[in-house]
Amino acid sequence: MKKDNSLIRPQRSRLNRFGVVDIVLSAFLILFGLMILYPFWNVILVSVTPTTIYAQHRGMMLWPPKIIWDAYKTTFRSSLIWSGYRNTIIITVLGTAYNMALTILAAYALTKDFIGNRVIRFLIIFPLYFSGGLIPYYLLIQDLKLINTIWVLFLPTGVNIMYLLIISNYFASLPDALEDSARIDGASDFRILFQIILPLSLPLLATFTLYYAVERWNEWYNAMLFVKSVSLWPLQNVLRTIINDVTVMASQNIPGQVRPDIASDNIKMSSIIVSMLPMMMLYPFLQRYFLSGLTLGAVKE
Amino acid sequence: MAEIQQQLGTAMSPGGAAAIGPSPGRRSREPLNWKRIGKRIWRYKWIYVMMLPTLLVIFIFRYIPMYGLQLAFKNYKLAGIAASPWNDFAHFKRMLGYPGFMQALQNTLIISMMRIVIGFPFPIILALMINEVRLRRSKRVLQTIYTFPHFLSWVLLAGIMLNMFGQAGIVRKVIEAINPAWAADWNLLYDAGAYRWMVVFSDMWKEAGWGTIIYLAAIAGIDEALFEAAAIDGAGRGQRIRHILLPGIIGMIAIQFVLRIGSMMEGGFDQIFNTYNEPVYRTGDIIDTFVYRMTFQRGADMGFTTAVGLFKNVVNFALLLMANAITRALGQRTLW
Repeated sequence: MKKDNSLIRPQRSRLNRFGVVDIVLSAFLILFGLMILYPFWNVILVSVTPTTIYAQHRGMMLWPPKIIWDAYKTTFRSSLIWSGYRNTIIITVLGTAYNMALTILAAYALTKDFIGNRVIRFLIIFPLYFSGGLIPYYLLIQDLKLINTIWVLFLPTGVNIMYLLIISNYFASLPDALEDSARIDGASDFRILFQIILPLSLPLLATFTLYYAVERWNEWYNAMLFVKSVSLWPLQNVLRTIINDVTVMASQNIPGQVRPDIASDNIKMSSIIVSMLPMMMLYPFLQRYFLSGLTLGAVKE
Repeated sequence: MAEIQQQLGTAMSPGGAAAIGPSPGRRSREPLNWKRIGKRIWRYKWIYVMMLPTLLVIFIFRYIPMYGLQLAFKNYKLAGIAASPWNDFAHFKRMLGYPGFMQALQNTLIISMMRIVIGFPFPIILALMINEVRLRRSKRVLQTIYTFPHFLSWVLLAGIMLNMFGQAGIVRKVIEAINPAWAADWNLLYDAGAYRWMVVFSDMWKEAGWGTIIYLAAIAGIDEALFEAAAIDGAGRGQRIRHILLPGIIGMIAIQFVLRIGSMMEGGFDQIFNTYNEPVYRTGDIIDTFVYRMTFQRGADMGFTTAVGLFKNVVNFALLLMANAITRALGQRTLW
C-alpha cells in the first residue's frame, strides 16, 4: 500500500508521483497505440519504397531508404480511381443529405402524440430484429429496376434506425416552452422543426451527419451486388478489385515459393492511402463530433 | 419498446396535444368519438406528412423483402415469387443434411464465441487503463488513435492486413530476421488453423478503441464524491477499481454482454467476406458468406438460400428477444 500514498489526495490533484504501475500502464497504452498506427505507416512505406529495396529489406523497416512517387503517379493516372472518387463523392453527398432528411423529419414526427405513434414506432423498430434476407432483397432491387444504377448505392440505405431513435430522444428532451410559444405565434410544424429544434441540435446533427457520411463513403456491398459497370463503382469497390487482384495472384502461388509481384503491392498501397486520405485529414479535427454520438443516446448501436 | 415509449411520453407532452384530445391510454375506455379522432388526425396532418417519406422507404426496402421470404418454402420459378409452387419444407430438410451449411453454422457460432470470450473483455480493460492515465492531453491523443480504425471499411483493412501478414508482409520479414526457418513456408492468410484467430484479433484491433467510449462514458457518470471519499479512506488503485469503478460500470457491461449474445448469429459478413479465401472456408465460412456464395457463385437455388437466410434470421430474432427480455430484467431501457 505504501507506494499508493499519493492516491490519498483526491483524484484531480494527484499529479505528483509516477509509480511503477503508471509506467507499465502508460507503456502498454502507448504500445497499443503504436500497434494501431504502425500498419498505416507500413502502408505508406510500401507505397513509396522502390520494390527492389523493399523486397531485399530484412526485418522491420521504419523509414524508407529511398522515396519514389511512381505508385502515386500510376494511381492518379488510373481512370478507375478518378471515377471511383467521383461516384463516392456523389453518393456521399446525395446519400448523406437523403439519410439526414429522412431521419430528422421522422425523428421530429415521432416526438408528437399523434394517433398511431405506438404502431408506427413498432413498425420502424421491427426491421432491426428481423429482415427478409439476401434473395428477397435482390429480387426487390431487380423489380424496382435499380440494378446497375447509381441510385441503388444509397436509396436502399434509408435511415439508420438507431440514429433515428437517438435523435428522436434528443428532440423530445428539448424544453417545450420554446416550441409552445412559437406555436402560439402560429408557426407550422415545419417551421418549428427548422427554426427552433434544429438550431438547438447542431452538435448532435453534426455527429450523425458524419456517421452517415462515413457509412456512404465506405459503401461497397450494394455496389458489389447490383452494379456491374465499372464506371459506376464507388471507390471501395475499385479498391477491392485492386487489392483482390494481387490476393488472387498470391493464393495461386504455392505458399513460400513465389512472392507476389511487389510492384503491384506498391500500387495497392498507394491506392489504399489515396482512398483514405479524406478520413486521415478530417478525423483529427472532427474527432470531438465523431466520438460524442454514442454517449448522447442511451441506446447503443 | 414500452420503456422508450414511457421515457419519451414524459419528455414529450407536446404543447397543443393536451388541449386537443384524450391521451392514447384513456381513449379506449371512452366511446369512440370519430369526429374527435378525425379532428385529432387533422391536427397532426403535417406530422403524418413528415413521416411519410421515411415510412415509405422503410416499407419498400425492409418490409417488401419479408414478403419474399415465402421463397424459403417454395421451388423458385422465374415466373415470380407468388407463382412458385410450395414444396413441403424441402429446403429445410435438405439444409440440415447439407455439409456446407452445418460447417458454416458451426463456424459462425465458434467465431462468435471467440469474439465474446476474447474480444468482449478487452475494451473494458482498455477503458479502465485509459481512465488511469493521468494527463488529460495524452488521453485525448490515445483515444483519437484507438478509435480511428473503426471508421475504415473492411475492404481497406483487408488490404492493410495483406500488407502486414502476406507473403511479402512486414510480419514475415520480422520473423525471418529472427529465425529464417519459421518463415520458410509462410502462409498465414491462407492457413485455416490461424484464420479464426486472425478474424478475432483483427476485429479487436479495429473496434476495441470504439468499444471503450461507452465504458468511459459510464465511468464519467460515477459520482466524483465516491472517489474523494475513497481517497480520504486511503483506498489504493486496486481497491478503487474493485469497489468503485467496476460496480459503477457493471450495469453497462451486462447490457453490452447481453447485446453481444443477442447477435451471436452474425459472424461479421464485411470482415469475413473481405478477408477469407478458399483455403480457409473450412474454418472461416459463416452463414452469411455461405448464403452469398450459394446465391451468386454456383447455379443458384434461390429457394434454398432463402431458407438458409430465414433460418439464420429466425434464430437471430429469438436471441434478440431473449437479450431484450434480460436487458429489461436488469432494469435497463430497451427498444422493445
